[in-house]
Amino acid sequence: MRIVHDRERCQLHGQCTIAAPDIFRFDDGGELEVDPSPDETLRADAESAMDVCPERAITVVADDE
Amino acid sequence: MAVPAATIPFLDVTDPAFSIRSDEVRAAREAGWYARTPYGIAVLRYDQVSRLVKDRRLIQGSAAWPAHNKVTGPWADWWRRMILNREGDDHARLRRLMNPAFSSRLITALVPQFQALAGELIDGFAERGRCEFMSEFAEPYATRVTAQLLGIPEDEWRTLADWAEALGLGLSVSVAEHLPEIEAALEGFYGYADELIAERRRTRRDDFVTHLVEANEDADRLSDEELRDNLVLLIFGGIDTTRNQLGLGIDLFVRHPDQWRLLAERPELAPSAVEEIMRVRPTVTWVTREATESFEFDGLTVTTGTTVHLFSESAGTDPAILGGDQGFDIAATVRPRHFGFGGGRHFCLGHFIARGDMGEALVLLARRLPNVRHDGEPVFLPDSGNTGPVSLPIRFDRGT
Repeated sequence: MRIVHDRERCQLHGQCTIAAPDIFRFDDGGELEVDPSPDETLRADAESAMDVCPERAITVVADDE
Repeated sequence: MAVPAATIPFLDVTDPAFSIRSDEVRAAREAGWYARTPYGIAVLRYDQVSRLVKDRRLIQGSAAWPAHNKVTGPWADWWRRMILNREGDDHARLRRLMNPAFSSRLITALVPQFQALAGELIDGFAERGRCEFMSEFAEPYATRVTAQLLGIPEDEWRTLADWAEALGLGLSVSVAEHLPEIEAALEGFYGYADELIAERRRTRRDDFVTHLVEANEDADRLSDEELRDNLVLLIFGGIDTTRNQLGLGIDLFVRHPDQWRLLAERPELAPSAVEEIMRVRPTVTWVTREATESFEFDGLTVTTGTTVHLFSESAGTDPAILGGDQGFDIAATVRPRHFGFGGGRHFCLGHFIARGDMGEALVLLARRLPNVRHDGEPVFLPDSGNTGPVSLPIRFDRGT
């Protein structure tokens, strides 16, 4: 799976860092770091992050999409 | 360089007569980006509110609310313990448990239920040509939607709505004065939650309360106290804010009949209508933050522990972002963000459902209650803290 993160839409609320802390985290400067191709075992977290993002800035897509 | 405090406007937001929409606030916003208040500072302009709402040097600051109002006891204890006032790992753990009930996908599937419920309620008064909007629509609608979402019986809606309304006074600047009824409502909610939890422990279902009850089997995931505290919060939060925001929306439309006609003609504007209402007349009149460190911000030294109230209505109607246009326009092509759901890690858990259920309700109301107008003076809560109509009698053209 791949994570598509729309930086234009993102407002840095950080809900994804709660739903999927192994994929999304804030660096020391407050910027969001995203693992673009997380392990398949993190799928439930990834989809939860997609579902809870208030700005709908996250999409989980298949590797070949 | 810090600005001398004496030159900064002072807003007595604790006075029940104080209005976040007053000329006094407008003048203060004109004079500068913030004002002093008895609680700390009020941030008045869009630019500073949009930056501070997600500034990581601040935390959600509502934990200090009971102390600001010199209130202690069961309600103050509940207030401090529930998820809104938790931070860090505890907050993340609780939020992860609650997220599944509020996902965007789940809410989309509920739209037909929202429409059916709104239709049923409107049928109850449409022929009469008048209604008391809060008790005949806003309260049953907000309460029964919440009941449907959480899988609890809808027929007790009146009791739940009354408790929610009383508990909602806890977010008003009159909290101290209303403490006995607030605590009675909390007691009622506790009893209700205890019964619900016991029932689900006996008989598991495929619903959200069962999901929480199962998490509670491991107290490190969710303790008994956390289970009860947060069930109360979810029931209360779902009812009270939606009730108030719908009421404020209808009051706004009564004052802008052209916009009401437009919504009836163009139902696709419903999502924009919800955003516009929350920008112009938010029930959450301020978003609270507390500084966890001292820092310089736009000429002000914000010291550790300062309560920072981000004035959502003042920011949303800031002429600096709107130019000359400060009206109410659901069809506007460009609309500044609003702060009615807060922002950051504590972003309103229920925002998808609130947006969905209010949008569906407003469209049906606009179509079936043409020419809506006041039918006597509405009564409002104080215009600061969380606000909304206490009663809102309306008339409309019959027979549609």
